[in-house]
Amino acid sequence: MNNVMLKSKDVTLLEILDRVLEKGVVISGDVVISVADVDLVYLGLKVLLSSVETMERLRGAPFAGAGEEPT
Amino acid sequence: MKIYAYGVIDSNCRIEDSSKGIEGGRIYNIPYRDIGIAVSDLDGRYQKNINPDHVLEHERVAEKLMESFAVLPMRFFTIFKDKEEILSMMSEYYDSFNENLNRLRGKLEFGLKVIWSGDVIKKRIAENNAGKGQSKLLSNGSPARNYIMEKFEKYKMNRQFEKEGHRDISAIDEFFSGFAVEKKLDTLKSDKLLLTASYLVEKAKQDDFKQAFERLKKSGPDGLKYLFSGPWPPYNFINLTKPEFKKA
Repeated sequence: MNNVMLKSKDVTLLEILDRVLEKGVVISGDVVISVADVDLVYLGLKVLLSSVETMERLRGAPFAGAGEEPT
Repeated sequence: MKIYAYGVIDSNCRIEDSSKGIEGGRIYNIPYRDIGIAVSDLDGRYQKNINPDHVLEHERVAEKLMESFAVLPMRFFTIFKDKEEILSMMSEYYDSFNENLNRLRGKLEFGLKVIWSGDVIKKRIAENNAGKGQSKLLSNGSPARNYIMEKFEKYKMNRQFEKEGHRDISAIDEFFSGFAVEKKLDTLKSDKLLLTASYLVEKAKQDDFKQAFERLKKSGPDGLKYLFSGPWPPYNFINLTKPEFKKA
């Protein structure tokens, strides 16, 4: 990603996951092969990375902060 | 051999870039009328090997495409049986793809997540409310009345919490008004996550947009943390209409 202001690789992956797993062109119907494992992979990746809040807790303060730190 | 799709692009020409995609497959374009879809071939092993690296590869290809074309990135792991299936899909969705490509051409997506101390704010609101006669009402009322009052107090506190949240969200969003052509704001998803925003920005205005973020960091609402990311392909701004069933 160009000119990105992210601080860690994991947060980058989290942001990518938010997009590539949830958004983008979703084709419905028979033309797309259904891969049973993929839903499990989604779940696995999501659990692995959980959420922004978990990331924040685990990694200290990876975000660009402004003012005082929330407590 | 299956076909993995990365994104629909506004070109029916050959992709000159020699970069590789998922499992090292060469990226190529399958043209349909005046548009195309960037793909790579995939063998049968993929089902056992899906991992975060594949996600990164998918995104890397989408970003590479974004440098040369208007691109509608596919959702991760969109796989087709063969070229005929892809052409059939392109034919069905052509009008919608075209509309989206025209709307999104020359534009980029930026993301912003904002973390706040929602739990601390909730605590402060509860403490303030406790000092405003709530306890008196509760001690004098019947159990039913107390129950209703308790519910009402909770409702008021939630309202106050949301009001404070939306006040900060408006202040944040204000920094970007004028630089984004479209936006999507997902608000108060949890006590900590105040805002998940996606902004669609013209390429020519991306530096202005980044400067707006710098200003937000310096003079935005107090006590917030920001995660700013981009530029991304416009994942959040694809409005695909499912094609109507075509009679044979």
